Amino acid sequence: MTDAAPLLQVRDLKTHFTFRAPSTGVLPGPKRVLKAVDGVSFDLAEGEVLGIVGESGCGKSTVGRTLTKLEPATSGEALFRGRDILGLSAGAFRPLRREIQMIFQDPFASLNPRLTIEQTLAEPVRIHGLARTREEVRARISDTLVKVGLDPKVMTRYPHEFSGGQRQRIGIARVMIVEPRLVIADEAVSALDVSIQAQVLNLIKDLQRDSGISMLFISHDLGVVRHISDRVAVMYLGRIVETAPKAAIFEKPAHPYTRLLLASIPRIRPGRQPVVDLGEPASAASPPSGCAFHPRCPLATDICRSTRPDPVDLGNGRSSACHHAGQLLGEAA
Amino acid sequence: MTAILTMGRIFRGRWLATAGLCWLILVALAAIFAPLVAPYDPLEFDPLVRLSPPSQEHLFGTDHFGRDSFSRSLYGARMAIVIGFGSVVVALVAGGLAGMISAYFTRLGHVIMRIVDVLMAFPALLLALVLMTLLERSVVNTVIVIGIVYATTTARILFGMTLKLKGEVFVDAATCSGAGHASILFRHILPNLVSPLLVQASFIFAFAQLQAAALDFLGLGLPPEVPSWGNMLSESRIYVTRASWLLLFPGALIILSVFSMNLVGDALRDSIDPRFRNDIKGV
Amino acid sequence: MTRPNTDASDLLLDMRGLTLGVATPDGILPVVQDLSLSLSTGETLGIVGESGCGKSLTSLAIMGLLEGTPVRVLAGEIFFRGRDLLRLSPRERRAIMGNEMSMIFQEPMTSLNPVYRIGDQIIEAIREHRPMSRRAARDRALELLTMVRIPDPAGRIDSFPHQLSGGQRQRVMIAMALAGSPRLLIADEPTTALDVTVQAQILKLIVELQKDTGMGVMLISHDLGVIAETCDRIAVMYRGRVVETAGARELFQDMRHPYTRGLLDSIPEADEDVDRLSAIPGRVPTLDETITGCAFHPRCARAGAGCDSDQPALTAFAPTHFARCHYPLEPDA
Ligand SMILES: Nc1ncnc2c1ncn2[C@@H]1O[C@H](COP(=O)(O)OP(=O)(O)OP(=O)(O)O)[C@@H](O)[C@H]1O
Ligand SMILES: Nc1ncnc2c1ncn2[C@@H]1O[C@H](COP(=O)(O)OP(=O)(O)OP(=O)(O)O)[C@@H](O)[C@H]1O
Ligand code: SF4
Ligand code: SF4
Ligand SMILES: [Mg+2]
Ligand SMILES: [Mg+2]
Repeated sequence: MTDAAPLLQVRDLKTHFTFRAPSTGVLPGPKRVLKAVDGVSFDLAEGEVLGIVGESGCGKSTVGRTLTKLEPATSGEALFRGRDILGLSAGAFRPLRREIQMIFQDPFASLNPRLTIEQTLAEPVRIHGLARTREEVRARISDTLVKVGLDPKVMTRYPHEFSGGQRQRIGIARVMIVEPRLVIADEAVSALDVSIQAQVLNLIKDLQRDSGISMLFISHDLGVVRHISDRVAVMYLGRIVETAPKAAIFEKPAHPYTRLLLASIPRIRPGRQPVVDLGEPASAASPPSGCAFHPRCPLATDICRSTRPDPVDLGNGRSSACHHAGQLLGEAA
Repeated sequence: MTAILTMGRIFRGRWLATAGLCWLILVALAAIFAPLVAPYDPLEFDPLVRLSPPSQEHLFGTDHFGRDSFSRSLYGARMAIVIGFGSVVVALVAGGLAGMISAYFTRLGHVIMRIVDVLMAFPALLLALVLMTLLERSVVNTVIVIGIVYATTTARILFGMTLKLKGEVFVDAATCSGAGHASILFRHILPNLVSPLLVQASFIFAFAQLQAAALDFLGLGLPPEVPSWGNMLSESRIYVTRASWLLLFPGALIILSVFSMNLVGDALRDSIDPRFRNDIKGV
Repeated sequence: MTRPNTDASDLLLDMRGLTLGVATPDGILPVVQDLSLSLSTGETLGIVGESGCGKSLTSLAIMGLLEGTPVRVLAGEIFFRGRDLLRLSPRERRAIMGNEMSMIFQEPMTSLNPVYRIGDQIIEAIREHRPMSRRAARDRALELLTMVRIPDPAGRIDSFPHQLSGGQRQRVMIAMALAGSPRLLIADEPTTALDVTVQAQILKLIVELQKDTGMGVMLISHDLGVIAETCDRIAVMYRGRVVETAGARELFQDMRHPYTRGLLDSIPEADEDVDRLSAIPGRVPTLDETITGCAFHPRCARAGAGCDSDQPALTAFAPTHFARCHYPLEPDA
């Protein structure tokens, strides 16, 4: 990790969705706000991989989609090389799209079924003016396909002719072909079979290392996140509850929710603590008061029910949003 | 080659639709080769043989001016095809654009779709009648009016489908690649609408025949001298008791063609992307 | 036809040489081949394998639910408590289904009817198999909901499915499956749609219910962790065949099949750091590809003479440990 200014600084990012509750009679239902992302801050250094984990619906994807401006932010800042991208118009942001790219989860849905692989890959090259002639475009596509482990001959084919793993490689090629600086990977390997997932993970890791890209790696799979990340942020109901270097977070979680997550992973090799039955996840539509985790937290006290804990710096690059984080760390030591 | 294979796939095991397709091919051939095949000039009067029943010389008989019904039917096939294609083009271009743009730019779309709703509140024939009374009788105007009538339903259907496609991940992916609005609409969304549009076209083609016949019959459609199946029906209606063949042949031609086009449309619909199957329910 | 083996009276399910084929325009393709597995009362058998290897079809064949699909039983026998299910009349089969064996599926939302209250759906399931008054059935439904640990069952019984969380819906599905006090419960990916923390709860519930009722459980999953954690015995499937089967501990201590090894090494685990995953090369073959010999040979590092021509037989390595490989791995030192 470098000491230089971070590539991306996200400050108090909020993305809220407004929708109408189902109507009860003739009148339309009242407007409701769903705080999918509600005050997320983190830094991402050059060449660093930050993993984001958390349960379904906690807002992981929304963070990624807001940073790529697929979803409008409600408030907050995201400084990319010191320049706020959230306030930019679509036109002003377009040149930056080359540097900020996204890998999508579903390799079957993320490729246009009516375009050949060549047409799909040529589009970003043309838009960003990375090659002039048809030959140059082709050469660039061939190079990239080789880089992601595909035969350049596949160019003329359509997506339905490929397996899930191959399609995901094509999706990665579409991202790599513009030589981005920041890649947001949203569940990039979750839809793949285990044996294929390992290949694609290895590929992503190699490409990331070779080109020094910074990456936001979003996944619900803690094993995958541990494998690929330098640092990990744990989200719960729209907020980051803990951030730490990966070794620290997996060895000594400083937040009760992280501890629950780690205890819940099914282990292949025996010898883990029994799972404590901690109730169902709360919903983002009606988050509990105070610390959103308190209904499920074994350490919850009165202050947890009334006051929302802010992230506290615990040193060594870790922070935790828990009133009793100190107690947890002391206990584990 | 792939087109033939696809046709084979669509029509395999559907003998009724295949029969419909054959009939339509026959109509198209008749239209193309009308001048070669027609035994008489469709406009030529022959007072000597007024209202003669079907015979060796006049297969479909003759009308009250002594014009040969068979020849007029052949030329009528030309009109049927012109009206069908014309209406399809007008309906798909106008309706398709309105629907796609409305779904993509939701605010503007709100306004456009309300207008469409108002137009759709009229029964199709009534809307055509109202528009036709404002315009002169001509082939072009008939095509435009029928096209506009079916542009409304097309807009509705494409609105829904575009809305669905707009949420697809590949559209997000294109946005992330830097694609602009036009590129997303016409390069990414439109190609995925081709097969539903084809199905839609086949239904419009069929219903345009009925509309055109109805307009002709009411004396609002094509100019009376144009040999169209609708005009043939219209002119002969007062002779129905004396010369039933004058109604029989053009009527049968219209019904057969509309029915065939619908069968083909059904076959196409069943073969397309299951995502959209429920969206297209005829016009 | 009687079952030859009568010594183990607690043998619940015994499949022999089950072969399933799917009718396609290109002819009948084999999807499950020569599958022999057995399950005793009180035992949990795990079936693990990648997508499309035939896990679900096997369970549907046992349940007699292949009607209406293009899949047919081509050969083999499925003995349930000494009777060959495939030779029973549809009427006799229905009597067994739901009563003596039942099944839970992956997606709890689509398996519940959204327009009926969950209580009514459970009551329906109870009365379908045992005629009793609505009142008595409602009491039994409450009992079942308590059994699957739905908090406040009396208050929840009149909820609609959408008012429950995913984990609660899956509990309701389990309650319905238990309505007839089955001797055999087949769970096909019961937790795949759920979060890790909820998954841990559901798996724990299944294990506890199994202990309480003494039923046999067949658990199907693509997640080796889930299987390892819950099952007494494990069968690994690849492309329609069982390639290795052994007791859970036995399997992980003394793995013999290269595919099992590859699968294990492909999984990034949350407990350890590896720099590179050793991925299985190539891709999962599709149904219409014909592969002679061992189906794994195009991807197998150990493949040698005969692998591409001769189908390896299931060989015993221990009384309960079998693998299908010409060049099995040596036991770990
Ligand atoms: N466009 C939208 N409109 C309304 N609500 C939305 C929208 N997108 C997401 N949400 C809601 O916002 C919350 C966060 O969603 P998000 O997709 O970010 O979760 P996630 O952490 O990625 O979950 P998963 O692991 O299931 O992908 C959810 O409750 C979701 O229902
Ligand atoms: N109804 C069907 N029609 C045709 N093919 C089918 C059908 N059901 C399953 N298949 C095919 O049979 C094979 C085995 O399917 P099965 O559902 O048993 O796989 P699985 O192991 O359960 O996979 P997954 O983990 O994806 O659920 C697959 O290749 C599948 O494509
Ligand atoms: S703040 Fe309180 S309730 Fe929240 S995680 Fe910490 S101890 Fe638990
Ligand atoms: S039989 Fe041959 S190809 Fe198959 S797993 Fe064994 S060594 Fe590999
Ligand atoms: Mg997500
Ligand atoms: Mg399955």
